Amino acid sequence: MMHLSQEDLVGLAYGEGAPAADHHLSGCAECARSVAEMKSDLAELKPLDAPIRDENYGERVWEAIEGTLPRYQAPRWKWLGSRLVWGLGYAAVCAVLVAGAFYAGRVWEHGRKPPVTASTSTPQPRQPIVVVVLSDHLDRSERLLVELKHVDAHNSEMFPPLRDEARTLLAANRVCRKDAEQAGDPALEGALDHLDHLLGQLANQPGGLNTAAIAHLQDEMNADGLLFEVRVLRSRVHDQKSGRKPTNGGTA
Amino acid sequence: MVQMRKDDHEAIRAVLAGDKEAYSALVVRHSRTLFRVAFRITGNEADADEVVQDAFVRGYRKLEGFESRSDFGTWIYRIAVRCALDKVSGRRPDGVSRVAEENDPEQNEMQVADMAAGPDRLLLSGEIAALQQSAMHCLTPTERAAFVLRHMEDRSTEEIGAALGMQPNAAKQAVFRAVQKLRRRLAPLRVNA
Repeated sequence: MMHLSQEDLVGLAYGEGAPAADHHLSGCAECARSVAEMKSDLAELKPLDAPIRDENYGERVWEAIEGTLPRYQAPRWKWLGSRLVWGLGYAAVCAVLVAGAFYAGRVWEHGRKPPVTASTSTPQPRQPIVVVVLSDHLDRSERLLVELKHVDAHNSEMFPPLRDEARTLLAANRVCRKDAEQAGDPALEGALDHLDHLLGQLANQPGGLNTAAIAHLQDEMNADGLLFEVRVLRSRVHDQKSGRKPTNGGTA
Repeated sequence: MVQMRKDDHEAIRAVLAGDKEAYSALVVRHSRTLFRVAFRITGNEADADEVVQDAFVRGYRKLEGFESRSDFGTWIYRIAVRCALDKVSGRRPDGVSRVAEENDPEQNEMQVADMAAGPDRLLLSGEIAALQQSAMHCLTPTERAAFVLRHMEDRSTEEIGAALGMQPNAAKQAVFRAVQKLRRRLAPLRVNA
């Protein structure tokens, strides 16, 4: 019969015997006697009585170590949280201001619309007014396209003025395009359509203008030959303004 | 117990939020328990006082890593055990030249001869305590700590392993070796008694 090891006996004496050892013990008098002896021996080993420490002991320990302990900083996320709230608030205010400015711009442009549309009921004086408005619009559009063509795509400081100007021109461009449509001038309508597309992207780029967006718009403008198209139209409109006969067919 | 644990956690949150003084509540609450186990492992009052202070300083510095699900009392107790173990591991025994009695290859620690008086020269009433004290010195620091935790602090094998940073089986072995050595040391006393 295999008896329990000394290690098992120690475990049993401390009440941590394995189930198999417990089972063996119930049928083995020799091992039971060994466990009893082990318990008896261990009972002779008295715990060391630690010297008494009074109620103020903890306070004395604290006084001894207090000077060596650095103070913890308040969790960083709280600071970040407050900064985040301020940042979001600031962004919201900016968004409201921009939206308000955009809306005001549109209202203002609509406010300017009656003189143009009023001319539809009086065909004779309408033509010069439309030509003047269109001429001015194409001048500004050309300047914007030139600026866009030469702007440094890595200089983000230049983007907001471009965007603001595009927003202003966008509203005027729609009025002019509608007028061209009514006047049955497909060449002008098509050019203003192209211009509308580009101004729309420049004014309302999702996520704001960035280097990639500017580079993309520059490529698009060059591929479409939009600047050239606008220059041709401007030249034609200038001719109309000055009373000269256009060099190619179709006018506003 | 539950209230104490709740109070401990509140104090820890306050400390981590920058209220250093909140740690004093934890120190006051647990100092005496730490002193008791530190004294039993080191066997020396001054060393035990140092261990208590070291444990609280070490605990403070690790407080950010304390898991809120844990019990602070258990956590700081384990730190104190490790501090006490470090203390006795770094201590040179008595400054007296000793003769190797036996080697412990598993722990790679040299055993030293007991220089205490023989049991026949001790009165029986004081014999057991004195001989036990003497016998405790022949244990390695790990065996001594394991035995103190098992025999005097009534800790389970798993708790001993966690406190000493070892597997439960290794903790069980350490307790076993300590008991064997102590029984051998105390055997003459039992015969004489």
